Amino acid sequence: MNVKRRRLLLAGASATALGAAKAYAQAKVIAIGVSLPLTGPGAATGITTQRTLERGVEVINAEGVQIGPDRYTLKLAFYDNKYVPAEAVTIVEKLLADGTRFLISLGSGNSVPVVAKTTAVKALQMSYASGKAHLTSPDFPLSFRVAPTNETAYAVYPWVRSTYKDVQKIGHMNPSDEAGFTESEDRRMIAEKNGFANVANEFFKRGSTDFYPVATRLVNAKPDLIDFGGTIGRDQSLGCKALRELGYKGKIMLGYSDAKSFVEVAGADAAEGTLLFDTLVDPQNAQQKELQDWWLKKYGPPFPSFAYSVWDTPFILALGMKKAQSTDPVKIAEALRGAKWDGLYGPEAFGMKSVYGIDTSITRSIPIAVIKGGKPIQLTTVPWPADV
Amino acid sequence: MTLALQIVTSGLVTGLIYMLIALGVTLLFGIMRVVNFVHGELVMLSAFAAYFLGVGELGLPFGLALLCAAVAAAAVAVICQYVLFRPMHYDILNCFIIGIGASFALRSASWAIFGPEPIAIPAIVPGVMNLGGVFVSNQRLFAAGLCVALAIALYLFLHYTRPGKAMRAVEQDREAALLMGISSEQVYVTAFVVSAALAAVGGAMLGSLFGIDPEMGAEPLLKSFIIVQIGGMGSIAGTVIAALFIGLTDSATGTLFGGELAFIIDFAILMLILIVRPRGLFGYDVSH
Repeated sequence: MNVKRRRLLLAGASATALGAAKAYAQAKVIAIGVSLPLTGPGAATGITTQRTLERGVEVINAEGVQIGPDRYTLKLAFYDNKYVPAEAVTIVEKLLADGTRFLISLGSGNSVPVVAKTTAVKALQMSYASGKAHLTSPDFPLSFRVAPTNETAYAVYPWVRSTYKDVQKIGHMNPSDEAGFTESEDRRMIAEKNGFANVANEFFKRGSTDFYPVATRLVNAKPDLIDFGGTIGRDQSLGCKALRELGYKGKIMLGYSDAKSFVEVAGADAAEGTLLFDTLVDPQNAQQKELQDWWLKKYGPPFPSFAYSVWDTPFILALGMKKAQSTDPVKIAEALRGAKWDGLYGPEAFGMKSVYGIDTSITRSIPIAVIKGGKPIQLTTVPWPADV
Repeated sequence: MTLALQIVTSGLVTGLIYMLIALGVTLLFGIMRVVNFVHGELVMLSAFAAYFLGVGELGLPFGLALLCAAVAAAAVAVICQYVLFRPMHYDILNCFIIGIGASFALRSASWAIFGPEPIAIPAIVPGVMNLGGVFVSNQRLFAAGLCVALAIALYLFLHYTRPGKAMRAVEQDREAALLMGISSEQVYVTAFVVSAALAAVGGAMLGSLFGIDPEMGAEPLLKSFIIVQIGGMGSIAGTVIAALFIGLTDSATGTLFGGELAFIIDFAILMLILIVRPRGLFGYDVSH
């Protein structure tokens, strides 16, 4: 190598190094730890969440989040908790020890055990999880619930009451874990408040294959409607299939589902007539269509409608940062409590102070679909009750 | 009375499906003393193969799709044998550990390849049979019948064919079999192929009854280990009896006391057997 070439290379290397240094100086990155199941029985929802969050952050980072003179970008770090609470606790302890102060958590069993830890170090936790006062309360002012779960019953049961007058007796089926117990307790309470009689309350191990035993118990209780509560993914299809195979003729209601997958696994006959709460079958607005189109282009069909449910999460955090004009989780949480915004489902807000004593649980309209002729069809959208 | 009959019918049918998967596990253990943790992933991969060949764009007749899935499963099993187990000299502990690792790797890779959406093989025999208030789907009956047929076929294969007799000879006394000119390595390959074929049929049946996703092999494999341990490692008859017993127990405890209790009872039975009779009901002492 002659001297001239060497100098040229040196100059190039220096320029690159300077450029990198400049970029480094400009880059203000907010690290967000994401604890979710990427393997195990909750993996389907975990992978959908991961892909959706990645896209959401990509969109946010294209413009960045302006706080005063500084432009911030978000950086997600995903950790597989396998839907095992002990794994989730280890992940969050490590994240908090490393200085991460923003956490997105999927699943009740992964969110509830860590909320005291995130609260203690003043980290902001956004959970997609069923939960009650053990996740949403004035004791946990930095804990936000970014999707309506067990609380959907506040909107859905009055609608069932007025739409299906023949439904009097409700049976409940839930997974035997934190999410299932919470869903069961809350839904039975809300069903009773709406004048229904709870005739069965069954639990199963998440990821089970044979639902005949639990379905036999439910069928024997002769409910008019069976609410699957916190049952998600393949368990919904298998539960529905088993109930129909055992001769159950009443209504089945389930939520947070991927409608098309549900029908495929349950079979069109078994799925017929099933009510799907908080389920969007097809895009209802331009923003939803954009998300679906992006997914189909990147990952191909089928599009998991569960992606709609998690889409808003990073945008809510970005909104909080903008409103607070700060990266301090305490100030962001303050700005988010009771905040209102236009999300993927239309007007959304953090509320439910009447139930939890603090406005940190998301409220929005609940779309409802039904399986008709083997296909999911959007049935209606139930508004969030004004008094909740 | 109807409830009791429902419990028995559901339990027997489920037990027969678990039996098919457990037979593959016990076959390998009986002959090679290998506890094959990859077996659950063979179940899963076969189900995916049967789905994509029979239900996907290719749309092959289901029998042909199942045959192709069995061939693919056998190929994966033999690869595992040569790449994982043979270099470990079929040492029980090393194979156990490497099998767990391979199983997790295959499962994680499957999530990345097949994606998060669960799918299912449509019922070959749709509809539900109502036998005086006892309900059972035709597909379950079909699956149970196929499992019985394959268990009989396995028995005939082991007792009346040359490769089957060679397998039994190696199982009974490897050194004596070698002296009689039987190549143990060839027998091992046959065992892996037969075991994989059983996994493939089990996978396709599970895929039509319970749907397909990368985790689908985990629970049946766990049940298989419980069944094989109770029946006695390496004992075909023990496996059949234990599978039916576990199927009935799961059905009865799940229906009478709730689903969560079924696993607790299964493990309680397993612990009791391990304490009272470590080799299982019909097994032999592994140390000999």
